[in-house]
Parts: sequence; C-alpha cells; structure tokens
Amino acid sequence: MAIAVKLDDLLHDRRMTLTELADRIGITLANLSILKTGKARAIRFSTLDAICTALGCQPGDILRFEPEQEEI
Amino acid sequence: MMSKPYSAALPIARIVLKILIVLNWLSGAAILALLVVMPNQQWIMAAFDLSPSPETERLIMGMRAIAVLGLVVVPLSYVVLKRLLAIVESVRAGDPFVATNASRLQAIAWALLALQLLSIVIGTIAKALSTPAHPLNLDAGFSINGWLAVLLTFVLARVFAEGALMREDLERTV
Repeated sequence: MAIAVKLDDLLHDRRMTLTELADRIGITLANLSILKTGKARAIRFSTLDAICTALGCQPGDILRFEPEQEEI
Repeated sequence: MMSKPYSAALPIARIVLKILIVLNWLSGAAILALLVVMPNQQWIMAAFDLSPSPETERLIMGMRAIAVLGLVVVPLSYVVLKRLLAIVESVRAGDPFVATNASRLQAIAWALLALQLLSIVIGTIAKALSTPAHPLNLDAGFSINGWLAVLLTFVLARVFAEGALMREDLERTV
C-alpha cells in the first residue's frame, strides 16, 4: 500500500502512547495497532476526526502518500 | 448494534436437518434392500399381482433402473443436508458471511441441479412404465419450484461470496 500511516511520529512528538490515544478516542488498542502498522484496509472519517481532535493535527499529518518503487 | 429478534428458525432447522440426514441414510438402505430383493422376480410378481409376460419383464427392469437412480439421490441429498447444517451452525456461531459458506452454497446448488436432472429421468422412466392396468405414480419429473430453488441457491452463493468480501473489508476498517 502506497499510503503510509504516520501515527508513530505524531505520538512520539506529543509524548503519548498508543494506549493513551486508544483510551482518549474510544477505539480498541487492537484496532489502533492495525492502523498504526499499516494493515488497515479502510479508515472511517469518525476515526480520523477523533485522532485529529486528540492529537490536534490535520489528516494530512497522519496519512502520507509514498509511491511504491516499481520492481524491475 | 441492533438487537436481533429471536427466531426459532435456526434451532428447528438444526434438528430437522439432523433427522433428515438419518432418514436419508435409512432410505438409502431401504433402496439397497429393494435392489437386493428385486432379482427375485417371483416375489415382485406376487407383491404386485403380476403374471409372467414381456410386459412384466419390462416393468421389473424399469423399477430396477429407478431404484439404482434412487440410490444416486442419497449421496446428493447428503451433500445438500450436510452443507446446509454446516451453514446453520456457522450462523449460530455468529459468523455466516465467510467464503466457506459461499462455496458450501455453490456445492448445494450443483447437487440440487443434479437432483432435478435425476428427477426428470426417474419421472420419464416411470411414465414409460406406467400402463392403465398398472399405473406407476411417482412424484418425479420436471418441477418449476425445484428449478427455481436451483437458481435461487446459485444466486445466494454469489451473494454470500460478495458478503464475505465485504465482511473482510469491514473487519480491517478502523
């Protein structure tokens, strides 16, 4: 997937753990881990909204498009 | 999450299917017994009050053919009943929208198709054997409802395959 989730960096900047974030936004740690490790297939707007509110950031700070290197 | 209304359909289906599976094997055993007895023409003629004639010969041959076809029905019915029971169990377990159920329905649909074809063959033989003196009334032949069930099951198999994909998507939605 060419969409990278930058949750790790944001949490590090804000000195927050994944568990704390999970508690604040009311999403299970398991689901948040799926998102963080890039295994999610889709993200709800409500989830994005909650994360942006909790971390005081923009959706663009969480998600980044990184074109995959074409295999030769 | 919406609360599900209680439905007796599943517990009833489970019991009925289990009974039908046993009955299916029993009917298979009965047909097998009939086939073993059938070589004895004397018995059959006595049972049906027939006299020896080419007509009788033909009737007995036809009945043997029907019995052999009836034997083929048993494993096909087993495929349908066993798969349906497995689907019912998966609904009870709370996860019916899986790819396995789609392929189970697909197998059921093919088995139903084969059963409908067999029914037509059996019905045709029965019609050919039937005479005004000895009418042979078998509940077999072309059935619009039967073919509708075949079509419905094939469509449902596709619906389940789509449902399984959607379920997979939803599972990885955060």
